[in-house]
Amino acid sequence: MPHVEVLPNATSAAAPGWHYVVDTGFDPSKVAINPKDRKRAAARGGPRTDNELSARQQTAIARRIAELERDNDPKQSIPIPSKSGIPKTPNARKIIQYQRQIKHWLDDEEAQLALLQQVPQPRAAHLRRVGTIPQALSEATPAPPGSATPILSGTPGEQIDPMFSIESSMPPPLDKAELEALLAVPPLSFAASHVAPPAPGGPPQRHFCDNCGYWGNIKCLKCGARVCGLECKDAHESTRCLKWT
Amino acid sequence: MPPKGSKKGSASAPKQTLVLDNGAYTLKAGLVPSTSANPSYDNCSVIPNCIARSARDKRTYVASELSNCKDFGELVFRRPVEKGFIVNWEAQKAIWEHEFLEASAGEGLRCNPKETNLLLTEKPNCPKELQKNCDEIVFEQFEFAAYYRCVGPTLNAWNTSSPSSLPQECLLIIDTSYSDTTILPVYSGQLLQSAVKRLNVGGKLLTNYLKELSSLRHYNMLEETYLLNEIKEAVSYVAPSTQQFCIDLERTWKGRLGDKRTLDSSIVLDYVLPDYEHSSHGYARPHDPAKSRMRRGLQPQQGPREDLLPLGNERFAVPELLFNPTDIGIQEAGLPEAIMQSLNSLPEALKVTMLANVLVIGGNSLIPGFMERLESELRTLVPAEYLLNISRADDPIKHTWLGAARFASHPDLLKHVLVKKTEYDENGSAWLARKFAGGGAK
Repeated sequence: MPHVEVLPNATSAAAPGWHYVVDTGFDPSKVAINPKDRKRAAARGGPRTDNELSARQQTAIARRIAELERDNDPKQSIPIPSKSGIPKTPNARKIIQYQRQIKHWLDDEEAQLALLQQVPQPRAAHLRRVGTIPQALSEATPAPPGSATPILSGTPGEQIDPMFSIESSMPPPLDKAELEALLAVPPLSFAASHVAPPAPGGPPQRHFCDNCGYWGNIKCLKCGARVCGLECKDAHESTRCLKWT
Repeated sequence: MPPKGSKKGSASAPKQTLVLDNGAYTLKAGLVPSTSANPSYDNCSVIPNCIARSARDKRTYVASELSNCKDFGELVFRRPVEKGFIVNWEAQKAIWEHEFLEASAGEGLRCNPKETNLLLTEKPNCPKELQKNCDEIVFEQFEFAAYYRCVGPTLNAWNTSSPSSLPQECLLIIDTSYSDTTILPVYSGQLLQSAVKRLNVGGKLLTNYLKELSSLRHYNMLEETYLLNEIKEAVSYVAPSTQQFCIDLERTWKGRLGDKRTLDSSIVLDYVLPDYEHSSHGYARPHDPAKSRMRRGLQPQQGPREDLLPLGNERFAVPELLFNPTDIGIQEAGLPEAIMQSLNSLPEALKVTMLANVLVIGGNSLIPGFMERLESELRTLVPAEYLLNISRADDPIKHTWLGAARFASHPDLLKHVLVKKTEYDENGSAWLARKFAGGGAK
């Protein structure tokens, strides 16, 4: 039987065709979209955490936070009442006429940083080649502090009981070079300045009722949101349940 | 880079400086003469930084004109500053012109830019493109004689008790403002950039959250930003501790079906909404269950008709976001932990001194209970042998302006940092950006 193979060329469509297949049950590619197979997941075993959110819930949360943080409503435009000051230079006119929002500028900044990170790799290699001698020197530097430490710790510590010694609670004095290096650091990018998520050992995340704000002890079976009781469950299902969004 | 020496002494610097703390919610502005008179909070005007339009009376209010507004219903705002940075120069230019140049300007603020220095503050971590836009507009459009731009909160280091020309050595500033809450360690007036932290919870988010909750639970108030901000300022408080938060949540709970509980009227309030006919501002009073039954039509109406917004756990659950942003899914640590994150990147000696000099500024610090909660939670995170000294500025909103004004009233300090328009014309904006990035207020 001759072997027929369609070779990809410029005219062949990239879109796959479709056809009926036998339903074989569990399809892992659909799990992320709609994690309804909770019984099967339990049977399969594997790690399960209580606070896992579905993709749909995560999008809903992200959208909600973006909504809460929004400064201006792009749908409502308020015209400037009086056209008094005319732009004095073409450049000023350009800046004044920008209709961009902050997210566009921040995305720009991100893109530029990504570009910068790609570019200087050859330059860094070049620097490394030049800097062989200082590197050898810096490898030798750990010796002087090592010899200096016994002097520091030896003099005051021996007479005083370590319990009453202030030395242990006092931090080491500020190193001038270190301070200058700290002051010379360039500003972080906006994205890099955000606070990190809470430490993993901290208290667990609290869940509140989606409707009334009391503790959310019960999960909505349809969408996974938290509610506090029957009354709020009814209200939740008629208004905010993600099943219907 | 040192300024070009050729201009030395040719043109004397202008006698006055416009000190402008250009916030997202309000402008803090004042003209400061360059003599060593000690400026005070009274020299500072607070002006809404927005253009508002009312759908009802079809009027547009620019910045300070908002005080003429009687009907705040469905008032829509356009704010030129987003996330703390000046983004929309069309609106910002209109507001600056309205407040500082035109006949509409207040008596203490009107100035001729060609004879005035500008000291403009910005938020930390501003994108470079936006800084460049700002510099170009200041010189090319407004033509200020000389200009200096720097991170605003760092100027609080100049708020020393004695009017000396030296900044406070170590200062940890917590700026909890409209757009976000930033943590800024400042050493001798210079920002330690690597330790700056930003928590994405600010007054705006709290107002919007209260708006969302009230709209979900009671009336649709999604258009009533102004009113909800007023309600937030009037009723919200920070629970003194996590335990107390749980107790308060219990006390404001309505109970189960068939097991209704009476709401604790020491926490639950009724906010009487303004009708914009007889009153343009509402007020809060203790919760009255009979009134709320009347509202739902379960009891015949008595007395004058009024619209009530009951406020239970919203009062403390909203500001709680500053301490537990994960409550609504923001993946960031709360404010006390964020402060420790910032400090842990510093050398131990600096960390100790910073903790002994913590200064809180920004409008959210005015929420009752905020300072107490912050201090007690921070105390548990700080090693016991370290001194923790935390205070709120006398006027947390105007404090940065006052620091900037004190800085501006030292002619020798100011001369050091100002860039003249002639220098800008000669060297361009890329040079200016490098010059301002090169050093702090030094």
